[in-house]
Amino acid sequence: MIDLIDVSFQYQNGTEALKNINLRVNNGEFAFVVGSSGAGKSSILKLLLREEVATSGQVIVNGYNLNRLKNRQIPNFRRSIGVVFQDFRLIPNMTIYDNVAFALRVTDASLKTIRQQVPYVLELMNLKHKARMYPYEISGGEQQRVALARALVNDPPLIVADEPTGNIDPEFSYEIVEMLKAINKCGTTILMVTHEHDMVKYFGGRTINIEEGRIVFDDYIGGAYES
Amino acid sequence: MRASSFRYLVKNGIRNLWNNRMMTVASIGTLIACLLIVGFAVLFSINVDNIVKFVGEQNEIVVFIDLDAPEGYSDTLKSELSNIQGLGDIEFVSREQAMEDVIENYLDGDEALMEGVENDFLPESFRVKILDPEHLDSILTQIENMDYVLKVDAPTDLSNTLMNMRKMVNTFGGAVIIALVIVSLVIITNTIRASVFARRKEINIMKYVGANNAFIRVPFVVEGVTLGLIAALVAFGIIWGGYNIFLDAVTSESNTWLGSISQNLVPFEQIAYQILGYFLISGIVVGGFGSAMSMRGHLKV
Repeated sequence: MIDLIDVSFQYQNGTEALKNINLRVNNGEFAFVVGSSGAGKSSILKLLLREEVATSGQVIVNGYNLNRLKNRQIPNFRRSIGVVFQDFRLIPNMTIYDNVAFALRVTDASLKTIRQQVPYVLELMNLKHKARMYPYEISGGEQQRVALARALVNDPPLIVADEPTGNIDPEFSYEIVEMLKAINKCGTTILMVTHEHDMVKYFGGRTINIEEGRIVFDDYIGGAYES
Repeated sequence: MRASSFRYLVKNGIRNLWNNRMMTVASIGTLIACLLIVGFAVLFSINVDNIVKFVGEQNEIVVFIDLDAPEGYSDTLKSELSNIQGLGDIEFVSREQAMEDVIENYLDGDEALMEGVENDFLPESFRVKILDPEHLDSILTQIENMDYVLKVDAPTDLSNTLMNMRKMVNTFGGAVIIALVIVSLVIITNTIRASVFARRKEINIMKYVGANNAFIRVPFVVEGVTLGLIAALVAFGIIWGGYNIFLDAVTSESNTWLGSISQNLVPFEQIAYQILGYFLISGIVVGGFGSAMSMRGHLKV
């Protein structure tokens, strides 16, 4: 669950990125965060991943109060979130298998768990046959599916996706969101940041619009996909 | 941490050496160069010290026994001298021998000039080797305070010069070695820092998936230690070969002053373990410590 209470955030150079934000995303929800460039979407993500700390207000994610989180607790907190980035952020000199397994290895998972979980999520993402390949040997859409597999492999209660379709061909973009929707149906909370309004209109659901650091819209919209 | 996780991290560190082979070669090359410079400086210092010590040991003092000393007192004095620490061989020079020396050294061996002259005006003496020229002054004081010692001839000036030279080499050599170790550490840290900087994205990704600092650091430290180890072994091989070639070249000049010096050069085998130990410790510490230090700034994500 995500809970932002009266959150404001100002960068060190004085730029006011978020102004008194109140936002709650309950367990099992799927929410799109939309807004133009510089609206504050990335700043929200930075706060949610504890890359930055709110200037004022409370940020609570998966039961962790991020304002009070000590540096040594950050790794444990981040293991409770699956993150998908626009630029995939795969480790280039690791195979697809190792990139996914890495998220388990950092949790000190046993070899048995790794050998069970990694092939399972690669199968889910239809990537099992590419397990031994390197990121540069597969397409952008496939790389994003690897990133999704990595986010999923720990079975986190929350997945945060930052413009996951931004760097891939449109025909694969919808496939990625469909996968996220399917994961959400299994109970995982999903927060997806995007600027692709057409896609949001197609899929529908909870949509949060941020402009100039404030939430200007937060409601459910109907979409062709839902119906 | 599970043993399997640790094995994975160690394997990863070693694999990284190959994946980043350009940086690996640069780091190992730099480390080898630094170790070689330090190694040769140490060898130079050890050898100069040894030569100076040897030259110092060639000095001897002459202890003259008073003409009034009782008959046979030389035995007593010899035992007193042998109790003094820092002295080597003690050779007794009788009056007869002293007379022969006078004839040989001052009269061109012409015995006729001394015919009919008694040798009782010549004092008996001891020629004593000095093992510890550094304490020559206190040794002389002890001997001069002994009964029936007429006088002591000692090459104090030469001894002092040699001592100063030895001190200078030790101090200068030590300073050069310390300076080179610091320079090596700076160069290595910078080389590794460049390697870490090139992989900052990788570290960043690791942080996002929840890796703690130890998990990220271990492969880098393994990488640093391994390249330190490789550099130490290669540098040791080069210094071994180089030094032996130098020894062979110097020894072959047996008729020159170089040849006489070469007899006092320390054989490599005598200091091999010491040098290998220094190299391994330096390589591992500099490599490991350099890696750990270089990462600090990149772990704050």
